[in-house]
Amino acid sequence: MAEQEILLEVKGVTKRFPGIVACDDVSLDIRKGEIYALLGENGAGKSTLASMIFGLYQPDEGQIFMRGKEAQIDSPNEAVALDIGMVHQHFKLISNYTVTQNIILGDEPKKRALGIFPYVDIKNAEKRIEELSKEYGLEVDPSAVISDLGVSVQQRVEILKMLYRDAELLIFDEPTAMLTPQEIESLLQIIKNLRDQGKTVIFITHKLDEVMEVCDRCAILVRGKLVDVSETKNTSPAELAAKMVGRDINFSAKRPTKAIGKTVLEVQDLRVEDSSGFPKVNDVSFEIRAGEIFAIAGVSGSGQTELADAVAGLTKVKKGSIRLNDCDLAKLNVRKRCESGIAYIPEDRQSVGLVLDFSLDQNLALKSYYQAPFCTSSLLNPTAFAERAEKLIEDFDIRCARGCKTTTREMSGGNQQKAIVGREIDQDADLLIFVQPTRGLDIGAIMAIRERILDERDKGKAILLISLELDEVMDLADTIGVMYAGQMLKVAPASTLTTNKVGEYMMGVTEND
Amino acid sequence: MTKNSGASPQDNQQQDHEPHDQRDPRHALNSLNKSLDKATRMVTQGLVKGFGNERWQSLTIPLLAIFLSLLTISVVILIFGNNPFDVFRGLLAGAGWWPKENYGGGQSQLTDLVGLATTLTPLLFGALGVVVALRAGLFNIGVAGQMILAAFLATVLVGYSDMTAWLARPLVFLIAIAVGALAGALIGFLKYRFNIHEVVSSIMLNNIFMLTVSYFITSSHQDPVSRNMRAASADARLLTEPVQLGEASARLPVGFLLALIMAFLLWFFLTKTKQGFEMTAVGKSPKAAQYAGIKIGRTVIVAMAISGAMGGLAGVTHYMASVPSIAPGVLPGVGFDAIAVAFLGNAHPLGAILASTLIATLVSGATYMSSIVGVRQEIAALITGMILLFTACGGYLRSWLDVKKRSLADANANTDDNATKGGDDA
Repeated sequence: MAEQEILLEVKGVTKRFPGIVACDDVSLDIRKGEIYALLGENGAGKSTLASMIFGLYQPDEGQIFMRGKEAQIDSPNEAVALDIGMVHQHFKLISNYTVTQNIILGDEPKKRALGIFPYVDIKNAEKRIEELSKEYGLEVDPSAVISDLGVSVQQRVEILKMLYRDAELLIFDEPTAMLTPQEIESLLQIIKNLRDQGKTVIFITHKLDEVMEVCDRCAILVRGKLVDVSETKNTSPAELAAKMVGRDINFSAKRPTKAIGKTVLEVQDLRVEDSSGFPKVNDVSFEIRAGEIFAIAGVSGSGQTELADAVAGLTKVKKGSIRLNDCDLAKLNVRKRCESGIAYIPEDRQSVGLVLDFSLDQNLALKSYYQAPFCTSSLLNPTAFAERAEKLIEDFDIRCARGCKTTTREMSGGNQQKAIVGREIDQDADLLIFVQPTRGLDIGAIMAIRERILDERDKGKAILLISLELDEVMDLADTIGVMYAGQMLKVAPASTLTTNKVGEYMMGVTEND
Repeated sequence: MTKNSGASPQDNQQQDHEPHDQRDPRHALNSLNKSLDKATRMVTQGLVKGFGNERWQSLTIPLLAIFLSLLTISVVILIFGNNPFDVFRGLLAGAGWWPKENYGGGQSQLTDLVGLATTLTPLLFGALGVVVALRAGLFNIGVAGQMILAAFLATVLVGYSDMTAWLARPLVFLIAIAVGALAGALIGFLKYRFNIHEVVSSIMLNNIFMLTVSYFITSSHQDPVSRNMRAASADARLLTEPVQLGEASARLPVGFLLALIMAFLLWFFLTKTKQGFEMTAVGKSPKAAQYAGIKIGRTVIVAMAISGAMGGLAGVTHYMASVPSIAPGVLPGVGFDAIAVAFLGNAHPLGAILASTLIATLVSGATYMSSIVGVRQEIAALITGMILLFTACGGYLRSWLDVKKRSLADANANTDDNATKGGDDA
């Protein structure tokens, strides 16, 4: 099989975004008729690479060859013309159109009635779609309306869309992220069918078991660099995980805990469901003690953010209890929880953590505006807002063009994050919840925020750290909990776990226990 | 200024165009293009200079919109064969901003201004109602319904009794506030409790209130002559006894000062108080407000109650002052004009004062303008419409100015002398 012809070749491709190199001199070749996995953590550059192949981005350096010829892919339309198709993580379907209408959109078969009046030939299109769906085992009713269909069926429609356009190279961007285990099973079968029918597949994922199951070869990206390409049959999940996590960051400010005190947060049998009743957090129990950093590792969407929201009171809890300093939080609303000692740095800093159209001083007082000195008998005190803001700007090195009156929207992401961290730490709460505190920040800001987290821990605070960056978890945590698909798969002291071990749990691998 | 400097080179060139054309068409076309370029560049430069400063854009952009709409309407008036300045002067004179050539008995410029204030009052109250709702991220289309309900109840409860003016008028205001607040809070409650969009519920409630009120009017409160609701007693009406103003006399609108005070109070409330802070936070980002521990539902209901109370005040100052009484089966246009005024005033309580003054001027000056210039008075409505159209483009104007500002900054850096040459010619 190895001497098969090469369908797509990527040579020395580099893509830079402001402040980050998303793809760094990546070269790979994809053989006709294979399933090729792009494996890597969040932000490793997998999606960027695929987007360049599909023409959504143009590489800053390097070339792409399709069937041996250099291809200048400036737009998805050109990619489609080269028989490249892509299923995006978030589907691009019009929800009140039928399956057929969606599939033919942009490539409608036109006919003329009586030789004059143009119309779209839905009937033949439907017939063709039915044939395609039979051929590849993709069960879909061509006349169904998209909004009536489940996620996995919608995904099949996306696949049919590519097949309808005779795509030969199919790119799947994290296709299993939104599916249930059974649906994943059937999708993987579909992908195998596609290969058996002669199609070539690029499969983007961070789940090792899927790679092991269907892929022929897999490339591992770490921080935009291609680390390794290996034949799947010659490797093991543990080996892949080690390469994928590939530690080369020089952060080593690891400080041991001084003293661990009494239990601050106690979560028991917590269950949180989404609006359709699907459990996002499934019977999770853990406790955090004073002077301890409890870090939750896990791939994105494992239920970490829902867990944090539940503790802060932003999400309804289905079952279980949350106790802070031995006091039940169930009956308390967001503000009461905040007052009883919870500070929360939310994942979505722009739409949750800040009112972007407010000035910086207003945002820095977003949680305390109603208390003295900011507010006395319902009247706000602008001087108090400004004074507190000046202090936090100084303490947390928040950079803003027009001082505390800067509109928060105009500030950079890093400074917005510093503002939230400053505001929350300033609350002097017993429990600090940090969700993705350093995402998207430059190295200097990352260091500063990590330092702060350790400082707070040393002051005897209990800290719940939720991060998708395994390095961050390993560097800061005293205790690590790993979440996978809503469950707390493992809780253990950080000293007893290795990065690779945690990586395996994150992928749901427990067989080595 | 920007208009003149822009238009004149363009016009000149078009006149030059003909003779050149016969000799060398290509040359003429080139030079036409060149000076057109120059002209547009100068207009752009002028606009950017005048309106590009972001700090003042909340004031300058509506002004630009008004200017553009007057420019457009001038063209329309010219097509009709009239002098646009006559029309504008007629409107100003009719509203009392400009002396008329002669006044009827008992009338003066001052009485015209009083009439303007009477028209303005309900418009301002209504606009304030819309503004408060907008600040909390809500769109209150229900001002018209709140007006009609409050005015009906105030008329029935107070207007048909024989209370003295000192008791009746405060009671009318109180009833208007209470009824309006309840009607508004209902919309807020429906939104919070059942997630019914406030636009839908307020449009429905407009009709429910209007038709219910119409039913009671036709069944028991109809004036046999006018077919409208029987008017309230003079003591309950929100106009004073005729007051001598020099040689003329006029009935003063009781609610006018209250409306002005209310605008300042609301400005204070929205910017300086805890509740105002919460309302603004909910309006700008409900998610962040929830995260900050603000009770969204309560804030939404309170905002709608205040908004409705303003609608109620608009109702009594309209139906019990500027018009004689409620006409069954008709929603008051003021309730919808108020939405426009709120946007024209940049959703700011003090902006609403300026905007309602402008629109009220157009409304109350129209008749006089029509009679002296001979243009149909509907042209005033056309001007209003045009202003709103251009105001609605405010966001576009803003971003257009932003883009032009940046490209001009680039162009100036590159071709500095070209730009100065263009400036010298003017």
